[in-house]
Amino acid sequence: MPEQVYHNILVQNKTAKVKKNAKKTLIYLLLSIYAVVNIYPIIWMVLNSFKSNIDFAKNPFSFPKEWLVQNYQTAWETARLDVYFLNSLIVSTIAVIFTVFFGALASYFLARISFKWGKYIYSFFIFGMLIPIHATLVPLFLQMKYLGLLNTHVGLVLPYIAFNLPITVFILTSFMKSFPTDIEESAIMDGCGVFRIFWSIILPMTRPALATVIILNFINNWNEFSFALVLINEESLKTLPLGLANFAGQFTTNYGAQMAGLTLAIIPTIIIYMILEEYLVKGMTAGAVKG
Amino acid sequence: MHLFIQKKWPILIGLAPALIVYILFAIVPIVISFYYSSMEWDGFTEMKFIGIGNFLEIFSDKIFWQSLKNNLYVVAASIFGQVPIALFFALLLYRKLRGGKFFRTVGFMPVVISTVIISLIWGMMYNSRRGLFNQLLTATGLDEWTQNWLGDPKWAMISVCITIVWQFVGLYLIIFLAALQNIPREIFDAAEIDGASGFKQTIYITLPMIWETIIVAVILCISGSLRTFDLIYVMTSGGPGHATEVMAMYMFDQTFSSTRYGYGSAISLCIFFFSLALIYVSNLILRRKTV
Repeated sequence: MPEQVYHNILVQNKTAKVKKNAKKTLIYLLLSIYAVVNIYPIIWMVLNSFKSNIDFAKNPFSFPKEWLVQNYQTAWETARLDVYFLNSLIVSTIAVIFTVFFGALASYFLARISFKWGKYIYSFFIFGMLIPIHATLVPLFLQMKYLGLLNTHVGLVLPYIAFNLPITVFILTSFMKSFPTDIEESAIMDGCGVFRIFWSIILPMTRPALATVIILNFINNWNEFSFALVLINEESLKTLPLGLANFAGQFTTNYGAQMAGLTLAIIPTIIIYMILEEYLVKGMTAGAVKG
Repeated sequence: MHLFIQKKWPILIGLAPALIVYILFAIVPIVISFYYSSMEWDGFTEMKFIGIGNFLEIFSDKIFWQSLKNNLYVVAASIFGQVPIALFFALLLYRKLRGGKFFRTVGFMPVVISTVIISLIWGMMYNSRRGLFNQLLTATGLDEWTQNWLGDPKWAMISVCITIVWQFVGLYLIIFLAALQNIPREIFDAAEIDGASGFKQTIYITLPMIWETIIVAVILCISGSLRTFDLIYVMTSGGPGHATEVMAMYMFDQTFSSTRYGYGSAISLCIFFFSLALIYVSNLILRRKTV
């Protein structure tokens, strides 16, 4: 009898195990489908970027018969990608520096110092996250026209700073609020001024949040399209997304080169993402996830 | 917690740079669009004050209502597409799973890529002759299912929405994952002892525990969907006909193609108030459910 019971338990364990394994397999299967759906468009593009038109038409799904690196050369020369890359780099970098510096300074006062209007000013900044940027395109265009800043990098950098400040202030303020108060106390005893405390104590301590904010700002600016579309018209000043938007038109007959150009444009983003994924994810979900 | 300082001028200096840029280039545009929205102006000739004339015209403008309807269509697709799909995969992923990191990385990738590039890639995938989808259908013998995805008014909006859903599922996946991982393990242990199955645990424990996050996700969906512009501009420019027209696209067309700055400003304001109202209402409805 005891043997029978023992056997039953064994069988039960076995079926439980089989069930568990089946469940795990199903989970992996579903996740793999999700991964393929996510990544296949990019793989499809990269593979076809090496094909000739005929190869692409005949074998859309296989590896290229002959790896045509020439497509990349054609794309680079036709699309002025170097100009766009450089413009994007300049605009994004300058905007990031100012946004983060101004944002950090403001956050320091909002997070670490009590004053009458602090709460309202903070809410005023946060309100900016709700402003749909497209509602500002027309007036901003007219404003820049009036200021003579249309078709300049400065004219593009200013709204980039303005519209990235809310999330920057939000992330930095909540981070700075978590420091204990006694940090500044001894510094004040030593006669340090508020700006000195900001620069040599608070700013270094904020480094992890600064990294998040820098990456987030950079990617936002790097990918930004609407403002660039409205404020920049001149070919030599166009940023990457703006330059690429009219890009397909230049290659109506050469699909391989079109995909090669897009592959080149996507590479920097993917590299940044691979290296700094943690910060980027943190920044982009900061509005929804606390901490 | 907070520091008090006697002098007020350092606070002013600290906040000024951020406040000035933010007010000048994010708040002022909204304010001056009130002014422009009451004008009839083509940008060259004298401005003419017409009061609420522009808003009356919007009210009877069929294309505007069509664009509003399409915007709501995107909102619905985002809420009922992105949120459930993201939640489903987050539930599969949040327990310790080998390779979980890989799926997360792949899942979030579309979020960091420029919308312009995504639109161009998907535009090629939808291409009626050489696109991925029609090639796939032809290869599997489903020739009669092939469509002119972006050129057919019946399919264009659906195709556009699929791309939007694809692009942002990863964002909500990560947001839900973070919320799920914050639920204390003990709750599930207790439920297991009480004999609750995995499915029941999900319905009665997991979902209520992350309800706050689901609300935030829905609100992000709404505000994100109302910003849809880059993708439409690159993929269809609102066409065919006005089948994929959204408010921001229509505003852009009216302002910069038809050079009706006053009318464009009026549409801008409609976008602004409409998105604030929608966020407010959805917040109200969803919060009530929790009580």
